[in-house]
Amino acid sequence: MVHRRSIFLVVFALTILALSFGVSFAQEATPDAPSSPGAILDVSGDWTIATVVKLTGIAWFDRMETGVNWVSEDYPNVTAFQQGPAQADAALQVQVIEDLLAQGVDALCVIPFQPETVEPVLQRAREEGVVVITHEASNQENIDYDIEAFDNSAYGVHLMEALAERMNYEGEYTVFVGSLTSATHNQWVDAAIAYQQENYPDMTFVGDKNESFDDPQQAYERMQELLIAYPNLRGVQGSASTDVVGVGQAVEEAGLQDQIVVVGTSLPSISRDLINTDAIDLISFWDPALAGYACNMLAIQQLEGTLPVTDGELPEEGFGFSNLTGYEELSLVDKVFYGAAWVDVTSENVDEWDF
Amino acid sequence: MATLRRLLARQEVIIALTIIILSIFIGLVNPSFFSIPNVFRILRSGIIVGMFAMGVLIVLISGGIDVSFPAIAVSAMYITVVFIRDTGIDSLVLSFVVAGLIGLALGLFNAFFIALFKLPTLIVTLGTLSLFRGLLLFFVGSQRIRIAEVSPVLSDLSRGNLITIDNPAGGVANLHIAFVFLVVLAVIVWLLLRYTMLGRAIYAMGGDLEAAERVGFNVRRTQFFIYGFVGLVAGITGIVYCSLSREADPFSIVGIELDVIAAVVLGGASIMGGRGTVVGTLLGVLLITLISSSLVLLGISSDWQRFVVGILIIIGTSIPVLQLRQRQRTQSAAQAV
Repeated sequence: MVHRRSIFLVVFALTILALSFGVSFAQEATPDAPSSPGAILDVSGDWTIATVVKLTGIAWFDRMETGVNWVSEDYPNVTAFQQGPAQADAALQVQVIEDLLAQGVDALCVIPFQPETVEPVLQRAREEGVVVITHEASNQENIDYDIEAFDNSAYGVHLMEALAERMNYEGEYTVFVGSLTSATHNQWVDAAIAYQQENYPDMTFVGDKNESFDDPQQAYERMQELLIAYPNLRGVQGSASTDVVGVGQAVEEAGLQDQIVVVGTSLPSISRDLINTDAIDLISFWDPALAGYACNMLAIQQLEGTLPVTDGELPEEGFGFSNLTGYEELSLVDKVFYGAAWVDVTSENVDEWDF
Repeated sequence: MATLRRLLARQEVIIALTIIILSIFIGLVNPSFFSIPNVFRILRSGIIVGMFAMGVLIVLISGGIDVSFPAIAVSAMYITVVFIRDTGIDSLVLSFVVAGLIGLALGLFNAFFIALFKLPTLIVTLGTLSLFRGLLLFFVGSQRIRIAEVSPVLSDLSRGNLITIDNPAGGVANLHIAFVFLVVLAVIVWLLLRYTMLGRAIYAMGGDLEAAERVGFNVRRTQFFIYGFVGLVAGITGIVYCSLSREADPFSIVGIELDVIAAVVLGGASIMGGRGTVVGTLLGVLLITLISSSLVLLGISSDWQRFVVGILIIIGTSIPVLQLRQRQRTQSAAQAV
């Protein structure tokens, strides 16, 4: 019995060892930091601005931190820094914001994990006179402003233009969404389909919106089935970052890289290999560094009182950040600023990005 | 007539007939269903569920249940890929060995609680399902790793094909090499269940644990074998999964357990233990795969797809229950006479 038990202890120890062995492997790549955009505002006050992200330690928000650090570099009397919970947890994010309020920051840039959960703490922040700017939360209530990288319909049209051009404006195409209930994905593809029907009469939308459940394997299997059901399929527009990955794999395995155009939202880190084999033709996303930077710029201008907004309207000559690609010309709807800050990536420039 | 009735009483025959009728129906709606590219596609999409099902079959026959195998598979897969990435040791054999050993170790961890503490198998494996996955996400990492960026060897495997033919509709159609893994595994499990004393022990345990122990089967040792084997199969399936999907995503695989268990039960294995065959299980896997991968061909809109899958699974799984009731009725009628 003793003997047997010791065997189990060894097995147990090995299991734990195997798992903890993995710990030492887990390390993150740090994105390289190209230079900052440079100062364009005159800042008189000394401001402390905290950017609160959904989660720290992932490539997307590491990249955003790069942008936040540029703000401190460009504006010496502004202290800009980034914080966030180590786990994707709404309650932890609220705690981070509370701690920052206790430290007496002047402004908060928040990318809420769950918009409704942070409403009370944002309300308190505003009552204490702290400026609140959010990102990726266009329905947030207790804010000064929100800033979005782009308007969803405009982005959908942008992807359709990229798809249509590569399809020579003719042939059958279909679209993927994460799920029929993902609001932004459906806004993108609805706008794209409507735009196609109005402008590209030789293109035909076939099938239905395909659901991938944000899983590249589901997208892959669905695409394989579409290839059988629609042998004349010539184009696909994806929405979830994993859609083009699954679709591209199916296209590559079928040897149809040159016949089928695949475009969609994704990140270079998960689509690079398929972009390099031309299975994916173009991906688009927004640069979190620029989004973080723009968020901080709005916070500075709101603190300085230099935002040119009167009665919720922008001045006629327009408003934007001339040195920030995609944010040169912002539009304002209610409390939400929209840029046109999508970044297109093809095999030409895929290696410039590491997230 | 009697032969026909006896045939129809077999779950395998019922499932096979269902598959044939369903195929004819899909083929009538969309003739491209009966094409080699489509056959290859369906076989490939059954590989992962089929491999898992071989492990689950053994557990169900023995009267237990294991829901932790997806967590074992994803842990073995992700730790192995991280190991390859960080050490640079890129060997096909070694990755299978490492993943298999991790799977085996985690499977024995289950067996430890099941055999020695005699805890209910569902409770133990539900616990370890969260435990393994939680440890993986917390200690090892939560980021997706593209296989092409870390392992040329596994990347080659993901592009490996058993058969490649020209697709008349354009491009090519492939049968993935990983299909071999499923065939080999199925043969091993078939031999094990049919020709070994271990196989007899597994059936006996599922029939009646007490009786199996009394007639001299070493139940504890058999349980260690069963859960260790499921772990080993899960670990290897994990590596096959990452080469099929070309990435190691620590959030993947978990969630597949319901499909797998449904396929095994559909294939005639009794959830109470004691019954089940490899052929039936493979047919169950084929039926589930067929249903879930022909909805676009049938032209069913996305809104209805989940509904249709649900209905078909309910119909499929209720057949054996109705059969059993029919059989009992016939028996009691016979006794009354």
